[in-house]
Amino acid sequence: MKPVNKLIQQDGAIQDRAIFWDEDIYQKEMEEIFARCWLFLTHESIIPDEGDYQSTMMGEDSVVVARQKDGSIKAFVNSCTHRGNAVCFSDGGNAKSFTCPYHGWVFGMDGNLVDVPLEKQAYHNEIDKDALHLKKIRVESYKGFVFGTFDDEAPSLKDYLGGMAWYMDSFMDVPGGCELIGPPMKSILDCNWKNPTENFIGDGYHVGWAHASALEIAGGPLAIAKGNAVYDAETSGLQVTVPEGHGFGVIWEGAAALHGGPVFEAYQKWLDDRSPLIREKMGEHREKFYRGHWDAAIFPNCSFLYGTNTFKMWQPRGPHSIEVLTWTLVEKEMPDQLKQMIHTDNMLTFGTAGILESDDGENMEQCTQTNRGYSTRQGTLYLGMGKGHEYLDPELPGLVSKGWVNEAPQRGMYRRWAEFMEGKPWSELSTTAQLEQKKVGG
Amino acid sequence: MHNTEAKERVSSELHYELSQHYYQEATLLQNGEFNTWIETFVAKDLHYWMPVTERRYSKDKRPEPTPYDMAIYNDDYDEVKDRVARLLTGAVWMEDPRSTVRYLITNIEAFHTDKDDEFVVRSNFVVYRHRGQLEHSEHVGCRQDLIRKVGNGFQLARRKVSLDARVTEDKNLYIFF
Ligand code: FES
Ligand SMILES: [Fe+2]
Repeated sequence: MKPVNKLIQQDGAIQDRAIFWDEDIYQKEMEEIFARCWLFLTHESIIPDEGDYQSTMMGEDSVVVARQKDGSIKAFVNSCTHRGNAVCFSDGGNAKSFTCPYHGWVFGMDGNLVDVPLEKQAYHNEIDKDALHLKKIRVESYKGFVFGTFDDEAPSLKDYLGGMAWYMDSFMDVPGGCELIGPPMKSILDCNWKNPTENFIGDGYHVGWAHASALEIAGGPLAIAKGNAVYDAETSGLQVTVPEGHGFGVIWEGAAALHGGPVFEAYQKWLDDRSPLIREKMGEHREKFYRGHWDAAIFPNCSFLYGTNTFKMWQPRGPHSIEVLTWTLVEKEMPDQLKQMIHTDNMLTFGTAGILESDDGENMEQCTQTNRGYSTRQGTLYLGMGKGHEYLDPELPGLVSKGWVNEAPQRGMYRRWAEFMEGKPWSELSTTAQLEQKKVGG
Repeated sequence: MHNTEAKERVSSELHYELSQHYYQEATLLQNGEFNTWIETFVAKDLHYWMPVTERRYSKDKRPEPTPYDMAIYNDDYDEVKDRVARLLTGAVWMEDPRSTVRYLITNIEAFHTDKDDEFVVRSNFVVYRHRGQLEHSEHVGCRQDLIRKVGNGFQLARRKVSLDARVTEDKNLYIFF
């Protein structure tokens, strides 16, 4: 592997193409990023009752996340401690325990080994069941969104989210909070996991061009972006990157804008009715973010569009493939009918057959696959748009830039990527807190 | 809803007519004649549905997905029409050059319902898609349709598409099944 300072240069603006292709870089990512970061597991609303569970992935590790007797949530690796078979084969459900299909070891919903066949006769009661629990995963929730990490040294989930949490509160912390509608759609895309992450974190630029056909059809207020016909860099929106690597772009007043006709009207009315509450609880800034449309990513591989309300995971499957998982994000207190309308629109626009999402699959894949060529791969890629125009805003966390067409969040993502890939301990990784001190210090 | 009760099997003549209808439908879709398809083969009260079906243990007693649940397609007529219109904007970069799609429709079983002009038709499909130089995917599943006799032909009023794969091994499913 080339040294990290050769892979990411000019403060995130230049990336070596090897980062989308090389197996050794990918293996290093599994170790330095996916085995260390907080990774999205599920939402509390999906596993409300004792024994409810979901199976999912953390990097390439299969895991199960389950609601416990005491209401807490635990997660463990889905691999038997006897000979390594998987113990859970369903997408989710409700269970009291999992029995391994190979030799019948039984694991509780907390991952503890509770029973083994022929314990007395064949093991002579000498097996130390306490030591043979499934590998446990640290779990924390933020406003109902459940994350796990393999790293005991990792900071709290809230600190990991850093400044992003302050922004996400604009919708996650509405009265009643948010929930996700599943089960997720799942599909395979032959791209590197970073391609869609960088697309969601800050790629406002592609919208007018890549989605020209869909914008023509969708016809909501966002359709003006078609063919890049109308764009005002000063007033249209903002982009934000926080030192923790997360980021987003926001189009002001755009939350409902990709929804057409009656959905737009119903959703806009909901937003209008809710806004005073948000302002009262969280202030004017967050009210503005609440009413905006976001493209966003939580480092490393979770993305969402707030407003259109698609919620995605990009699960890596080697350097050149991912599994895409898609849920719908809604506010819990929305009337059922509005939830249903938003859900239907999300399936129509950003699902596996989505009229917008289908435009992107090819872009994602080719951005990875062209690097198959040895000589192609010797080159670098450019994310310099708006570089040097980021600023510290005294009232907003992170680094801000004007307009929603910009590449500042992508640069932030790659700066973070480089920090992890250098193997820095948590104490040496950048934080929003440090950045805030800089603001105060001037 | 989809479960319009199927009664006795249709006669061999009607079975023949219906299977011809299905082959014609496949031909239109293969040839990219989406406008003809939506305008003549599809009823205005269409519900076009491809639910997401989880892998669940057999002891799991939760109900089957309904049209309120997660689905890859859950469209009324206008939504399918929008999908068709997008394909015809001339700005779908990934469909230029066009991909080729081939439908193999088999196991057609047709039943009367309690309406004289409506039939429940089940069929299996294999859909192959090829794109660019080497790219290809295949999708296998079955369809349960409600088909209505209209004039000399038939129109699709309900279609439930059940895919066999839990995880779609393709970059999208923007294909009419
Ligand atoms: S591998 Fe699980 S019981 Fe033997
Ligand atoms: Fe896109």
